[in-house]
Amino acid sequence: MKKQSIGSIKQLKKTENRMGYLFASPWLIGIIVLGAFPILASFYISFTSYDMASAPVWVGLKNYIILFTNDDVFWKSLWNTIYHVLIAIPLGLIVGIILALLLNNKIRGMSIYRTLFYLPCVVSIVAMSLLWLWLFQPQFGIINEVLSPLYKLFNMEPILWYQSASTSKITLILMGLWTAGGSMVIYLAQMQDIPKSLYESAEVDGANWIQKTFSITLPLMTPSIFFNFIMGIIGGFQVFTIAYIMTNGGPAQSTYYYAYYMFDKMMSDQAMGMASAMAWILLVIVLIVTMFALRLNKKVVYLGEEG
Amino acid sequence: MKKVLLMFLVMVASVTLLGCNKEATEERTEITFWHMSPVGDVSYSSVKGLITDFNESQDLYFVKGVGFSFWDYWDKINVAVASRTAPSIGLSTIDDVVSRAESGVLLNISDLMDADTSGINTLDLNEFRQSQMDFATYEEDLYAMPFSATSRALFYNLDMFDELGLTEADAPTTWSELETIAKMFDIQEADGTVTRLGFDPTYGDTTYHGWLWQSGLDFFDEDLNPTLNTPEHLEVLNWILDFNKDFTRSQLTAFGEANAMLGVNPFTSERVAMIVSNDGLYQTIDTSGSDINYGVTSIPIPDENGIHVCWGSGFSLEMYDNGDNTDAEVAGAYSFYKYLLSEPVQIALGESLGWLMSHITAMEKYVEGDPILEALLAEVDYSMDKVYVPYAPAWHASDWQTYYTQILDGDLTPEAGLLAARNHYLQKQENYNTLHE
Repeated sequence: MKKQSIGSIKQLKKTENRMGYLFASPWLIGIIVLGAFPILASFYISFTSYDMASAPVWVGLKNYIILFTNDDVFWKSLWNTIYHVLIAIPLGLIVGIILALLLNNKIRGMSIYRTLFYLPCVVSIVAMSLLWLWLFQPQFGIINEVLSPLYKLFNMEPILWYQSASTSKITLILMGLWTAGGSMVIYLAQMQDIPKSLYESAEVDGANWIQKTFSITLPLMTPSIFFNFIMGIIGGFQVFTIAYIMTNGGPAQSTYYYAYYMFDKMMSDQAMGMASAMAWILLVIVLIVTMFALRLNKKVVYLGEEG
Repeated sequence: MKKVLLMFLVMVASVTLLGCNKEATEERTEITFWHMSPVGDVSYSSVKGLITDFNESQDLYFVKGVGFSFWDYWDKINVAVASRTAPSIGLSTIDDVVSRAESGVLLNISDLMDADTSGINTLDLNEFRQSQMDFATYEEDLYAMPFSATSRALFYNLDMFDELGLTEADAPTTWSELETIAKMFDIQEADGTVTRLGFDPTYGDTTYHGWLWQSGLDFFDEDLNPTLNTPEHLEVLNWILDFNKDFTRSQLTAFGEANAMLGVNPFTSERVAMIVSNDGLYQTIDTSGSDINYGVTSIPIPDENGIHVCWGSGFSLEMYDNGDNTDAEVAGAYSFYKYLLSEPVQIALGESLGWLMSHITAMEKYVEGDPILEALLAEVDYSMDKVYVPYAPAWHASDWQTYYTQILDGDLTPEAGLLAARNHYLQKQENYNTLHE
């Protein structure tokens, strides 16, 4: 009787496992066919010369060697991307946090304000880019119109924004801040989670708004700040669309980002092998940067009281 | 009960799926044809009608047409060719047919022509321009046929000409005439805003290599080595830079961007009196219902030793070798291929697509009585396509534009810009050779 019941349980487990795999199979097939296979294929292709018409020809490490030693545009695009990540990510975090702090108040119509700040996140990036192209247009755009009294006051030439190599990158970064409402929502959610008792205790001790912000709110928000930081790094290295639409990588390749160059390597130069090598280099760069960032986790992120 | 329900569902699904494959049951060999007239496009019905006519004209083959928008088409066809899932017949760019032929993804059209004894729509090579067929020839065999032909010409606004007492006879033919007449139309507001230009050698479909060709120069020598920083190249570049030197680059950029942002064609909106454009502008003006009075002539050439030439290209009609094409599929595809290149179908395609097609007699009949189209077609005989450079397939686009815009913006001197561009091409050439040695 006992043996029979053990056998039945084993049989039941087997059946359950089979059913489990069966139900999970669409996802498993998806990740293997649509995820793992292309990743592995691109790794192989990165060691070949492949024009997407003829069969790939094995060239060993040549794609990697060329990129590192004899491709000026590779380094230029990498620098443009690193510049973007270095400025855009911290700036995005600061603006997102400031917005969240401002919108974490109990005033009339707050939900409307929150919606308004989040709204840009649901606007198509193409439409957004075209809109900002109008706004930043140096000769007749509204931003320079608004700033014209300042230009006159300081006897300055109008800023050429995306038309000048010296200001184009920062123009695209400023434009990107328009979508800071996305991270703001995450910060707000975490702020709502902070126990009221902490603020009440601080108030009893006579803490003002700034002290409460820096001693309670921001430390307790570090998990979400860190999450946005990591996601920002990963997304930042893949910046492409705004440059593709607004500047075509110009002027003087100042907004020719890494992903843009990789796209051109594939589509314009028909060099899929080289483009795959670039993809793998980018993966390694992002992995290393993310790894270092994750090391900060224990030092800067508040993970609750131990014990 | 559950089993009965399951069986019923399986039966319904099977019947539905079989129903989707109605044509297969008719035992006709299916041929796929990818084109650029998707559902919703003005040319969709007529292209579909031509396909239907072919399907009804015989009972061996069934052509399934699939239309993509121009912007989507290129990614689709490139991926399909790379993955050996290309359609039986498709369109592509004629200047790089050789690279695809070399890769073995195209069927040999010469072989198919030799084996064709049907006597139906037999291809007559005399009806196609040799200059176009040269681009489709690999190892002395044709691997594609020219499907359409484009040309570039100078469009001039006769209403604006009339305002200044000019007539059609005053249309410029040389660079100096162009400069003199263009200046007459320039208007600048008190605040510096340019509201009208006579002409700008960087607007419309002008290209630096187009101006070079007219001067007997090119980007590359016969061995495809970059040769673009000679004093003669510099002279052409300086002519472009100096053409509108009365205005700053910032003024000209603002003028150009205003056109782009407002979504207006500077010629149809009468913001420029003259513009170099391809035959597509004729179609744009025609479909917009504009009543603009204009003329078309050859692009003006240098005053001394100028060459009458323009950049003209066209689509190639290709039959793809996916490695598993059956004899029936190849025969059917070739039958439809010939049909598409036949005189009446080429006329019908010209009318529906608004393109100049490749068939010479068909186009002569198509443009008859329309002086604008006649002038545009005449330019096809002077058109030349850009050379395919394996180490820099986009040499005229992203590669060159980086330096060209810096030169135009004044960020690089013409000398430095041309040298930098040449070095860029040399580096690409070296890297390509390293990979293909």
